[in-house]
Formats: sequence, structure tokens, C-alpha cells
Amino acid sequence: MEPQLKRRKESENDDVDTWAALPVLSDQQSHDTKLIPAFAAPITDKKETSRLMKELHSLYPLPGLQHIKRVRPRKPADGLHSLEVLVCLVSDAPGIDLHSESLTIDSLLPSDGIRLNGLGPPFLVKIPACPPLTRPQFQVASKHWPTTFHEDKQVTVALRGELFSRPQKSRMQGYMEAALAAARAGGESGQEPVGAAMVDPKAEMIVAVGHDCRAGNPLHHAVMVCIDLVARGQGGGAYCFDKYPACTSALSPTSSNSKPASKTLQTMAEVVEEGQPYICTGYDLYVTREPCVMCAMALVHSRIGRVFYGTASNDGALGTKYKLHAQRDLNHRFEVFQGVLSQQCQDLYALKDPIKH
Amino acid sequence: MATESETPGPDEPPGFRPTAEDIEKWMASAFDMAKDALESGEVPVGCLMVYQDQVVGKGRNHVNETKNVLEWCLRKEADPRRVCARTVLYVTVEPCVMCAAALRLLNVPVVVYGCGNDRFGGCGSVLDVSSAPLPHTGTPFQEAVEMLKTFYRQQNPNAPRPKTRKD
Ligand SMILES: [Zn+2]
Ligand SMILES: [Zn+2]
Repeated sequence: MEPQLKRRKESENDDVDTWAALPVLSDQQSHDTKLIPAFAAPITDKKETSRLMKELHSLYPLPGLQHIKRVRPRKPADGLHSLEVLVCLVSDAPGIDLHSESLTIDSLLPSDGIRLNGLGPPFLVKIPACPPLTRPQFQVASKHWPTTFHEDKQVTVALRGELFSRPQKSRMQGYMEAALAAARAGGESGQEPVGAAMVDPKAEMIVAVGHDCRAGNPLHHAVMVCIDLVARGQGGGAYCFDKYPACTSALSPTSSNSKPASKTLQTMAEVVEEGQPYICTGYDLYVTREPCVMCAMALVHSRIGRVFYGTASNDGALGTKYKLHAQRDLNHRFEVFQGVLSQQCQDLYALKDPIKH
Repeated sequence: MATESETPGPDEPPGFRPTAEDIEKWMASAFDMAKDALESGEVPVGCLMVYQDQVVGKGRNHVNETKNVLEWCLRKEADPRRVCARTVLYVTVEPCVMCAAALRLLNVPVVVYGCGNDRFGGCGSVLDVSSAPLPHTGTPFQEAVEMLKTFYRQQNPNAPRPKTRKD
């Protein structure tokens, strides 16, 4: 099946424009911008700016808010002054009545601590509590108060759905089509219509294809089947899926000698070190729907390279209920993209079970 | 050994909840397995699935155990669903996230474990898969936790930290 996929003409895959593979980012990268209230004041005399910044910084250093710029240019609607400076957080000035007319700069600053020359009447602002990690977060944050931003260009491109070239998308689509075909075969034999394809991206080769077999064993989800088939191809594996013709592994146990020597050596080293081979190191998984928590953790254990799924699922653990691939306390993290042939993957489940989709 | 002695909830089938004696007896077996494994240079994890006072699955990872349980059911012509719903898992180390999810999928109602597993644990250490609201991932299970953290240090002062990949 691999040579066919490899030689697939791009013209066959005009529908690569109908889907985009979007990154499933960590909570830190995808949460809404949290805001905290603070007091700012106009700088009425520009010449005092650097002194004010220095004195305010030593009085109110704003710990944990290193991303916040202390001074911002004035808003265009306000014609009186050209700069505004962050004085302190509302929590730094307890007992201040936010709505009272008595809110003055004197009440925020100790009389002996700072010379007030050049500061206008304070006002309330909301500032971003965390440094923005993505361009969308940066754009939202900037509307409230300027921050620094260390852009990860690849994330920005990925969020635009432009990380993969057309030839790459064409190959990705071929892999997902293999997973879809397996899903349909599984669905026809009474299984949940879920399919998965394990891919060696360097060799541009499908290593194993499997579908859900949970009617036979409640744990035989498509991903678990696929991992077991990979293990079998490497001379391991706990189960036999011979009765499911759509579940196949490119490497039979007898042909495992034909594996590239480097991979075999690496696998052996890992067996020695950890007592268990990291059988999916460097592989990509294409699966029609978001894996559950069992399958997601099996992917962590087997050291998957990247995961691409078609549609989200209610109990999914790579974006929906958990983001296991970005879990900090686990010892392996990996990239996840969703949306490859999303419509075709969605249609698969709409036919079978509208609730679980 | 102290045990939790909650009364079963209204939805639980009566009689599957392990008694203090059950826990003591089967955990001792699980620890013996772990010791044997350690002495033969293997990962020191012992794991038993017990249904009506019979061991229906045994091993160090859920793949072997569930395979064994399902084979046992086949031999006895028993319905795996009914068997699992009244099976208690005794394991020396907290099941990992994957195994905790697998236990839910099998609807195993109670898991008794020894020490926590702060690298991979799925019953509260890394995630709490055992009781999380995951309606399509089987029923949550209760843990009758026996804190036996000191096992490895007390009984095997030179033993390595338990490694529990696919425990
Ligand atoms: Zn699954
Ligand atoms: Zn496990």
C-alpha cells in the first residue's frame, strides 16, 4: 500500500484545501487572557518619565508581571498627555475606593516615597496577568495594556493552518484516508467506526493500520490495536488481530530483521534502559477521532512523535477533556494537530452514533 | 492495616466491596508477587484481579491481566461484563493513567493499591482518571487506598524506585 500512497498524484488531492491541520495547544497557550485591575496615571511632563519609571519601579516592582510594559503611549482619544504609566496593582493599594472622587495620586503613593511632579490623576485599567504565548493571546492582551511577546513563529504559522505545504498535506490526507478505510471496514463488521494509521514520516511509509475492535475486547480501541500491531511488527505485541483483515502491520515478526539497523539498536537500548521499548519513537499517528485517555496515555508510553486526528470526541484526552500531550508532569510530550479530513471523519460517526459522534 | 469501611452506595451491587480481611490477604499476595519480581530482576509490581475469592487475572500490566480475565471468562463461560463489575484489582503501585482508564472501560468498581505513582498515576497523582466525569469511558471506580509507601524502603533497602511503565 505504501508505494501507491507515495506516488499518489497531487491532482487527486485537490480537496487538501477543504481542511486544515490546526495545533492542539496547551492550556497556557490557548486560555483566554486573564486580566488584573491596576492603577495607571498620565505623565503630564514627559521630562519626568524616566525618573517616574525608576521611582515607581522601586516602590511597586510588580513581581511576576515582567511582561508588562510600565509605560504606554497615550490613547488617541485623549489629547492632553502623550504617555501613561502603570502606578500599582489595585491589590497593592488596599482600602482605596475605586469609584470615589477621592481617588487621587496622593492616596496611591506615600507622600515621602516619590515626587509627584509630572503625574496626572490616576485611573483604573486592566492589565494581562500572564505573558502572551501565542499571537492571538498577544493581540487580545495588547488591547488592554502593552506587553512583551516572545513569538514562536512556528506556532503562529500553525495557528493560521499554514504549517504544512500542499505536498505534505497531500501525504497527510493519504494517511488519514487509510485510517478512514479501516474505520469503515471496522464499522461494517459491527465495531465502532474508528480507524488509525501509524506512519514512519521519514520513510513516508504506513507501518500499521488498525480499526476499533472493542466489540471483541473493550480495550481494543483503534489506537491500542495500532500500537499492538506496531509492537508485533517489531517482534512483540500481545494480541493477534488476524481475524480482522483491515488491521495490518507492514512488518511481520519474521521480517523484523529488515527494519533499519539504527531503529533496532535504538529500540534495544531503550529496552535495556527502561524495561520496555519505546516502540513508536519518531512515528506519527493518524486517527479518525480524538483518542480517549487510555489510548492517549498508551501513546505517551510508546513515545509517539506526533498525532493527527480528524474530529474531537467527548471524552478525548488530546484537547477535549485533557491535553495529555502537553501535561507537564509526564515524561514525554508531543505535538497534536486536529482537523485532517475533518468532514470525512465527522461523517463516519454521524452514520453510526449521533451522540458520540 | 486500616481500611475504609464505607457502606456501599444505592447503585452498587451488594457484595463486591472487599472486606478488611480480603484486602489484607490479597494485598499480601500482590506484594509477594512484587518481591518475586524484584528478586528475579524485574519491575517490582504485583497485580491481582479477584472475583468471588478467585484470582481471575495476574500479572504486572493490564494487557496481561485483561487478557487473562477475558480468557478466564471464556473458560468458565462467564460474561466478562458481569465478572468485571464484581472484580477488585489489587496492585502494589497506583495504576498509571492508561491502566486507570482501562479499568474504567472494563467497569471494575474497586481498585486497592499500595504506594502512589507520582510519575504516571491515574488515581490522583498525575490525573484523577478514576473519578473524573468521562461518561463514555466507563464508570468511575472507588479506591480503597492502603498507603504502603514504605514497602520498598522497609523490605528492600537497596531496591530501585518502582518503575511502572504500563505497570
Ligand atoms: Zn481509546
Ligand atoms: Zn499502566
